[in-house]
Amino acid sequence: MDCQKFQETLPFIIESGGTGEDESHLKTCPDCASLVQDLRYIAEQAKLLLPMHDPNPRVWQGIEQSLQREGLLEGRLSPPGQSSKYPTPQQQAKSTTPVGSILALLAVIAFAAILFNYHLKQLPPAALSAQNTSAEPAQLNSDALNSDDRQLISQQAPDARTAYESSLRDVNAYIADAQKAAANDPEDATAQELLQDAYQQKEMVYEMATARSLP
Amino acid sequence: MLAATTNACIRIARARRTLLLTAAAGFALGVSVTAHAAETHKEAKLDIASGGTLNVINGCGSVILHSGSGHQIIVSYIVHSDKVEVDQNSTNNKQRVELRTHALPDQKPTEEEAKVDYEITVPAGVSVNVSTTSAPITAENLSGDVGLSSETGQISVTNVARSHLRVRSMTAPVILKDVTLTRVDIQSTSGGVTLNNVTGQRIAAATTSGDITYRGDCSGGGDYLLTTHSGAINMTLPPTASVDLTARSTTGSVDNAFPLEEKHHNTFTPQQGRSFSGTSNSGSSSVELQSFSGKIRVKKQ
Repeated sequence: MDCQKFQETLPFIIESGGTGEDESHLKTCPDCASLVQDLRYIAEQAKLLLPMHDPNPRVWQGIEQSLQREGLLEGRLSPPGQSSKYPTPQQQAKSTTPVGSILALLAVIAFAAILFNYHLKQLPPAALSAQNTSAEPAQLNSDALNSDDRQLISQQAPDARTAYESSLRDVNAYIADAQKAAANDPEDATAQELLQDAYQQKEMVYEMATARSLP
Repeated sequence: MLAATTNACIRIARARRTLLLTAAAGFALGVSVTAHAAETHKEAKLDIASGGTLNVINGCGSVILHSGSGHQIIVSYIVHSDKVEVDQNSTNNKQRVELRTHALPDQKPTEEEAKVDYEITVPAGVSVNVSTTSAPITAENLSGDVGLSSETGQISVTNVARSHLRVRSMTAPVILKDVTLTRVDIQSTSGGVTLNNVTGQRIAAATTSGDITYRGDCSGGGDYLLTTHSGAINMTLPPTASVDLTARSTTGSVDNAFPLEEKHHNTFTPQQGRSFSGTSNSGSSSVELQSFSGKIRVKKQ
């Protein structure tokens, strides 16, 4: 999984937690891990900005009575059955206050700003394909060539380029598979050995290319 | 009159036929001469110190190596065009000798024009390193250390003993036969590796997608390690083979048709269809077969 795909699933991760694949990516990508941490903090803090409930009606009645006794408030308490300008118990739902709405809006704006800043930093294509090459399992991009691979191929004689390209695709797919297996079970000695072998295969291809390019 | 006319016609027809045959022969000869005009056959004898190293760098054509008596390297090569030449270099102390094919300045030979065919006789104990692009490499009866590398040329090694053999290949097959008491290290990406009667202290072959086929007894008490990513591993052992064998495929399958005794102590838990292990006879040689997604088969000879 690469950063782009991971960030597409961010809303679900924040809401209901990530899958094992998401967790694996977080372990290997400090940028995305930092982003998730910030977003979770904002989500937690945003809950505190929810509108406050109005106090119990008896409180309002007590205040009204006090103000009337002091002669500071005209009018009288609403008789039972008549509507009151103060919220009734039935109206004590989660009514919003203007301040609460503004703060919630600010939280959303902050959320969007952080997403925008972290959103898929303009990685060069080579780095993107390198991430795909190193992290993808045996799927569409697991055998992708990075910029070093392409440069190496271009430096070979025309009759050898096909062999180098196919070999590099093969070993990149090997590395991707071996990395995934090793990440799934770090204690598996066979997986570690296969990963080491995969890197040695790629090293061999580069060594042959380098030797070929020497005068 | 009529008879004379007829005889004359016959003589003319025979003469015409003879003329045509002669012209055809001459034409064929001319073509042959033209075809071989650009080929140059050369021979050289090069001194080399005992235990020295011979390096051969050749892109296209072929390289054949075999051992010989004496203390000199005997090189015979055919250059197929006048656009390439062979440089012969050696150090002052004759410890290192190099044969290198290269294009002449300002020349851009085609693959056909760049071909050079080598046949080299190597003294006993001399180490050899050969590197080609597409030229097949054939080595037989060598006794020194051998390093062979080719992107697309087939590599064949026969009858090597008490040596250290290192092979690097990309897409072409690697074939070893009757290589004994030798440390073998083979790496290939998609080229298949075939090992017939290959034994030694350490035999290691690793491919990415190429298949590995081993036929022999894994004798000598050595370590045998065959590894692939997606290539298949096929091993055929005689009933007398004395091996401690482990086979594991991460996502592929394993199939054992060779009688093995269960090991009393395993470093891992065998998984049906994915791995197995066991010993045969005294289990003197260690055999490890590993693949990520390839199929592993072991059977009895």
